[in-house]
This record gives sequence, structure tokens and C-alpha cells, in this order.
Amino acid sequence: MKLIKSVITALFTLVLVIVLNTKFGDIPPLAKFLDPFQGFWANAEGKKQNPEKELTIEGLKGTVEIRFDDQMIPHIFADNNHDLYFAQGYITAKDRLWQMDFQTRFASGRLSEVVGPKAIELDRYQRRMGMTFGAENMINTMMNDLEIKELSDAYTSGINAYIHSLKPGDYPFEFKLLDYAPEDWKPLNSALLLKLMSATLAGGSNEFYMNNILNKYGPEITKNLFPDYPFREDPIIPVGTKWNFDSIKVPEIPKVNLSNKTAFNIKTKEIEEGIGSNNWAVSGKKSASGFPILANDPHLDLTLPSIWYQIQLASSDMNSCGVSIPGSPGIIIGFNQDIAWGLTNVGADVLDWYTIKFKDDTKKEYWYNNKWNAVKLRIETIKVKGGSTLTDTVLYTHHGPVVYTSQQRPDNFSKIKNIPNGHALRWVAHDGSNDNRTFYLLNRAKNYTDYRKALTYYSAPAQNFIFASAENDIAITPNGYLPLKWRGQGKFLLDGTDPANDWQGRIPAEHNPTIKNPLRNFVSSANQFPNDPSYPYYINWEYAGYERAHRINKRLSIMTQANIDSIQNLQNDNYSILAENIMPTLISLVDSKKLNASEREAFNMVSKWNKFFNASEIGASIFELWHTNLAIQIWQDDLGDPKTPMRFPSRDRNVEMLLNEPNAVWYDNVKTAKKETRSDVVNAAFKFAVDSLNRKFGLMDKDWAWGNLKHTNVPHLAKIAGFGSKFLNNGGSKTSVNAVSANNGPSWRMIVALGKNVKAYGVFPGGESGNPGSYYYDDMVDTWSEGKLNELVFLKAKNEKSDRIISTWKFTHH
Amino acid sequence: MLFLLIAIISLILQLFLPWWIIAPLAFGLSAWKASSAKNAFGSAFFAIFVVWIVAGLIHTIPNGNILANRVGIMLNLPENSMNWMIVLLLTGIIGGLASGFSALSGFFAKDAIGGKTKIN
Repeated sequence: MKLIKSVITALFTLVLVIVLNTKFGDIPPLAKFLDPFQGFWANAEGKKQNPEKELTIEGLKGTVEIRFDDQMIPHIFADNNHDLYFAQGYITAKDRLWQMDFQTRFASGRLSEVVGPKAIELDRYQRRMGMTFGAENMINTMMNDLEIKELSDAYTSGINAYIHSLKPGDYPFEFKLLDYAPEDWKPLNSALLLKLMSATLAGGSNEFYMNNILNKYGPEITKNLFPDYPFREDPIIPVGTKWNFDSIKVPEIPKVNLSNKTAFNIKTKEIEEGIGSNNWAVSGKKSASGFPILANDPHLDLTLPSIWYQIQLASSDMNSCGVSIPGSPGIIIGFNQDIAWGLTNVGADVLDWYTIKFKDDTKKEYWYNNKWNAVKLRIETIKVKGGSTLTDTVLYTHHGPVVYTSQQRPDNFSKIKNIPNGHALRWVAHDGSNDNRTFYLLNRAKNYTDYRKALTYYSAPAQNFIFASAENDIAITPNGYLPLKWRGQGKFLLDGTDPANDWQGRIPAEHNPTIKNPLRNFVSSANQFPNDPSYPYYINWEYAGYERAHRINKRLSIMTQANIDSIQNLQNDNYSILAENIMPTLISLVDSKKLNASEREAFNMVSKWNKFFNASEIGASIFELWHTNLAIQIWQDDLGDPKTPMRFPSRDRNVEMLLNEPNAVWYDNVKTAKKETRSDVVNAAFKFAVDSLNRKFGLMDKDWAWGNLKHTNVPHLAKIAGFGSKFLNNGGSKTSVNAVSANNGPSWRMIVALGKNVKAYGVFPGGESGNPGSYYYDDMVDTWSEGKLNELVFLKAKNEKSDRIISTWKFTHH
Repeated sequence: MLFLLIAIISLILQLFLPWWIIAPLAFGLSAWKASSAKNAFGSAFFAIFVVWIVAGLIHTIPNGNILANRVGIMLNLPENSMNWMIVLLLTGIIGGLASGFSALSGFFAKDAIGGKTKIN
């Protein structure tokens, strides 16, 4: 009896201990996680951070000093580049190791190892999109550049030196929550993170929707609704600029340039509006100081930890400051004593789908250039938490991977509907490239010539590189590997059997659109068309709406004596050119006799609205719901068939129709007997807007205010509840310069005033630390939300005195 | 006595060993020193309950309870600046249970093998 009691309790205890040490589904190993010695409590930090430290680290060649300022931003001073990048790796890992690990896994399709079977289809998608394939090609090219190879290896060693210094109790919070350990970093991971940027910024496509539309409505209507140049535009390179080169021969449009006329039930990912950015620079002629001022705010999904990591890097041949991508060496957007540079997304069409004609069901060969060609196989191995492994065979053609074929298409994953069947992906991100050299050179650049040289190495994702120098030059270049295409190539699906549909090389780098010191004394970009129709090459047929760009250019045109405040004011501008363009028409069409009391009240409110998307404006909320629903009222019946997914025309086309085509056939809802008019849909959309607000918030009061409706907040990178920010009540919109929306917007705001002593300001919605147990996890969020900026500490020399430097670390070699 | 033994030794061991060291520790010390099943479970439970809560407090108070509050929200506790206390309580209870049952096992094992205890 006693023995039985003893055995049973012992067994129970054993099971209990094992259960408390094991992760089940999303629940962490409870005792291991809650253990105050090694579990999450140990990640809770006090206010004083990074006290003075001296470390001897194996792998360094000399001595490195890292000076931390009052926001925990590191300022790294090394004697040589090897140590500089080593230290950058080490310090970045100290703050953001989990983010680097997670984003790498996400990019390479290795999440299942950590989160289990629920991520299998997502992982498979990333494998088939060729993310790792592209990263491997990038590494192969990069490693031929000895300087870049050395700095990449040094950066990797630095990260690994940090990882090897950790005991399980030191792991970042999310490793403990998800119950896994950090693994050694490889140069491939840095490449994967750059590919992730490509996926975010240049991984969208429309071709399947366009094909379905073409199939249903024919070429005339398709061209009318989806023109190759917008109704209103304000291109990056000003209209009328003379191109200072002789263009090379542009490929001719093939006679039969459409792949096939079948309708597809496929939904690919489109580039989301809101993923974009602003940048501009005013020359010394427009500024109070007589020197240029440069501003940049890249728009991305906002997360904690932040996408960016602020840093200063100084060695024997460089001293630059700005933001870096954790996991990638160098500074991506920033400045030094002599120059400043920034990026916005071009949005070139560098992703095309090719219809593949296989020989038979074995899919071992495909038809191209009048013969059968062998398909190459790439076996992808996906490890799943819990021990199992599955393999996936991806078919590669000379275009790229066949993302799915009909036999391999799983039924239960919603993203699969996003992937075309028997279609190969040609994507610039698959090509080898050495983009790191561009940033390496920009970090060391001193003048316009250095800037232009740096650009020649850059491939993807294509960016509008803006530039300003203390020598009083400003410039902007939509830049990257831009495929040489015939006009419209890639707007629809392409026939993969015909060589005329391949990319015929690239636009020569020197012919990428560019302008230096224009007459108007400023340069700018906001993801709009890079050029006017006189540019001889084809880059894409559609870009972001012109509203931000136009507002920026209008305000910069009249700006004089510009200073930090005037530039900051423009970054925070909530004015809506869209509202300016369509409000008079919308208001004139509302039949106020047919409004009920609540609607009349709302109509008065929106009629008086000042067209600023400020947090307190109720009119802004009404307008936003009104115009977005109007598009649905017009197009849902014509382009909303769930079996053959299509897309709506651009906002620009809608505006044109609303203003200039009062009798367009499209206003009629073909699903109703009645023949709807423009006035009908405008009124219906208005009522919808008011009704939505009523249902969501009750009677019209301060809850209807735009800030509340928009409900900006910064979620955790892995969407863990409780680990994002609180609700941030601020203004902005997708169509104003200040492009804040719910979870998306300026992931970094920077202003650099060049001159004898460069001065810079910046902020991101987050903090330097990726540790949610740190006071520096989200210490900059409020500043960002209020539209303020922090002055950036920039030390011109290691020993420069600054009362904002609060501690120093010294690393010495073994 | 058993309470103090488990508390102090576990505190030292946990500085460099994984959490489950408390299990064999409670098992062994209880087999050696526990006077009854109630004494075994009770002393061991409270020893770890106290040690874990105090250790938790040492980490969380300088942190302004930021992290523990976030964990509370993640665990579906209502958003409240006090929910860190519930997380801390949970910590104490889970540690205590592991320790308590280990101690109970130790006592019954000794008892089954025929050690000097009062049978209750």
C-alpha cells in the first residue's frame, strides 16, 4: 500500500515536472517560463542600462569603444572596418537578437521549427517564392567582393560572439516564450533580411487580376479603366526635364503578348498602399542656413521591436549615423559630416508571372524557344517542431520557380489561392546582387560623385535615392536593376514559351531617371511615377497616388528660408489633396432632402471639414468611410466576382470618373433592376458611412473623431497580445504627407540639416531595445506619435564631449 | 526546518541551474527531514512559493512591473496596472506545486522503504 502510494505520487510528480517544462501549442513551458531565476522575470530591467563595461572578445583585431547616449543608441568607434562591423553585429544582437532570428526564419520558411505545424503552409510559400534561392544567389555574388565579404564575415562573427556569451537565463524574452534557443548566425541570414525587404517593397503583383479583367471586358475597357499613365501626376523627375543620354534600343511589343485568356481563381499579394515613403531635400537657396536640408520618412508596417535600429559607425575611413536593419551591416538611411541620403520605394514592375507549358503530367520538361527544356528540381526540407520533417520539391525553369503546380496545391491554406498554378515567377530578388556595396560606399561618401558611384552597385528593391551635400548639391535617382521591357510587359500574365517575353537585360544604370540641382531648388519623391511620358524606357504602368507627392511639391515650391521646423511641419502635414479634389463634387451630389436627422448632422459636419486628417476631426472619419465605400458601390458588382478575382481601378481613375464622367456606365449596379446614377451611389455611400459610424460608436460625438476611428497602434512583431503599444491618438492618412494609418506609417522620420556642422533629428515608433522588459523598448513611441523629433547625437570624434553620452563600453582583442 | 532548508538551498542552486532542480532537491530533503505528508508538501510548497515570489519581486520592482503587466495581458488577464501581482502569484503557485509534490513523493518513498517517520 505504501509502495503503491509512493510510486503513484512519484510518477505524478515526474509527469508534472515534465509538463511544466514542455511547450504545448502556444502555451510556454509554465514553470520554465515563470521561473524567476532563468525565466521571463530575469528579462525585466531597471532604468539604468549598459553600465560601464570592459570586455575582452576573441575575434577582434584592435580596440573598439561603444558610447551609449541617453536613448541607448550606440556610437561605435573602431580602428579598422573589421572591428567596426564586428562590433555592429555584437551590439545589434545584444538589443535585437530575437527579431533578427524571427525575421530570418520568416524569410527563409523556417517558422515551423519553432511554432509547429500551423506555420507549414507559410513556410512552404516562402520556399516556393524562392526567398532562400535568391539569398543564396546574393551571397554568391557578394562573396566575390572581398571587402564586402570581410565585413559580412566580421558582422557575422560579432553576432555569434554575443550569442556564445549567453546562458539560457540570458535569452531574449521571446525565445523563452516560444521555448527555443538562438542558433549561430550565417551571412546567408543577412541576405535573407534584404530579400525580405524586397518581398515587402517589390513582391506584389496584379497580373492575375488584370488577366481576369481582360478576359471579361476586353482590351478597350481594360485600357480605359487601367491606363498606363494617371489622370493626375507630379512625377519625381519634373515634367519637361531633358534626358541627357541616348537611349538604347527598347524591345518591341510582341504581336501576341498575352499568355492566355483563361480566367483564374488566384489572388496574389498586391503592394499595399501605405507601404511607400516620402523624401525630399531643399537646396541652400531655399534654406535659411544656405545649406541643404534633407528629410526622409519610410512607410512600413509598424512593429515592436522597430524595423530599424539607430546607430553611429566610425572607423578609419568613415563616420556615419542613421538607421540600420538589424541583421544587415552598415547604415541604410542616414548622414555624415558631408552628405545625407534617404530612400523611398520606386515600385517598379520587377515581378512577373509566366505561364508554363509542361510536356506532360510528370512536369519534367517545359516548352520554351521552340523546344523542350529540362525542369530543375530543388528539394526544400522543412523541419517541424515536434520532430517531423517534410520535403517539398520545387520545379525551376529558366524564368524562376514554378510556385505551384496543380498536383502539389494544398487545399486548406488561404494563401495558396494567392499562388498561380503552373506559373513561374520571374523576380529581381532571385538574381545575384551586391547591394551591400551601395550602402558601404554611401556610408563613406563625401560628395555627389561618390553618391552616383554607390548607386551603380544597387539592384533591388529599386529605391528613389535622395541626396544632399554640404557642397550644396541635391539630387534624386529612382535607382536599381530595372529590367529592359517592352511597353506594358508584365501588366498581364506572360507566355513563358516565347523568348520575346523574357526580360531583355536591363536599363543601363546611367539611364535610370535622375536629376541634380533642378531649377525648382528641391527634389522629392512619394512613390509616384518616376518620370513623365517622355522617358524612353518602361518601368511600370501604375504607382502610388499623386496626392502626397503633389502636396509636398506644392508646399516646397513656395517655401523660403526653410529650417528644421518648416520641414518637420511638412512631415506632419495632414492635409488631404484627395478631399480637396472630390469634396465639392461629393457634397453637390448629396440630396439633403433625403437625409434623416443623424445623416443631416453628419453632412453639416463633413461639409464644414477643413480637409485635414487631424485626430479630432469628425469630418475626416465621415469622408474616409464615404470615399472608400463609394469605390465599392461603383465597382463591387462589376469587378467583385469571388470565383474570378479582379481588382478595382486606381483611386486616381476613380477621381477622374467622378469628376469628368457623370454618366459613366459603371455607376449602375448590374445586380439590381434599377439603373443607378452617379448621384445614387454617392448618396448610398454617404449613408453607409454615417450608418457605420452610428453602429460602431453610437450617436455622433467625440468617438467619431478620426484618431479614434483610425486607432493607430504598434503591434508586436509576432502579434503577441500585450507586447505592442497602447492606442495612439494621432492624425494622418494614406493620402496625406503624414501617412500614419492603423498599423502602418513612418517607421522612421529623419531630418538632416547640412552645413559646417551637420545637425540631425529623428525618431521611430519604438525604442532601441527589443527587450519588452526594458524601459527602452518603446520610449520613443509618444514622441513619434506627437509628431516630435529627437535631436540625434553625432560625435565627430571618439573623444568628443557630449552630456548626452551616459556610458562607454570598451572591447579589446584577446 | 524543512522549509528553511529547501528555501535556502534552492535559492543557491537556482542561481546557476535550471528550475527543475527544485524537484530532486525537495524530494531528497523531504525524504531526509519531513515529519509527515502534510509537513512535506506544506514546507516544500511554501518554501518555493516564497523564494520564487521574492526573486520575482527583486526583478519586477525596479522594472516598474512593465514586463509582468505585459505578460498578464498576454495571459488574458484584464488590462490593469495590478495584473502583475496575479502573474507573480501564479509563479509562486506553479513553483510551489512542483516543489510540494516532489517533497510528497520523497516522503512517501522514504516511508515505503521503511524510514523513521510517524505514520499518519
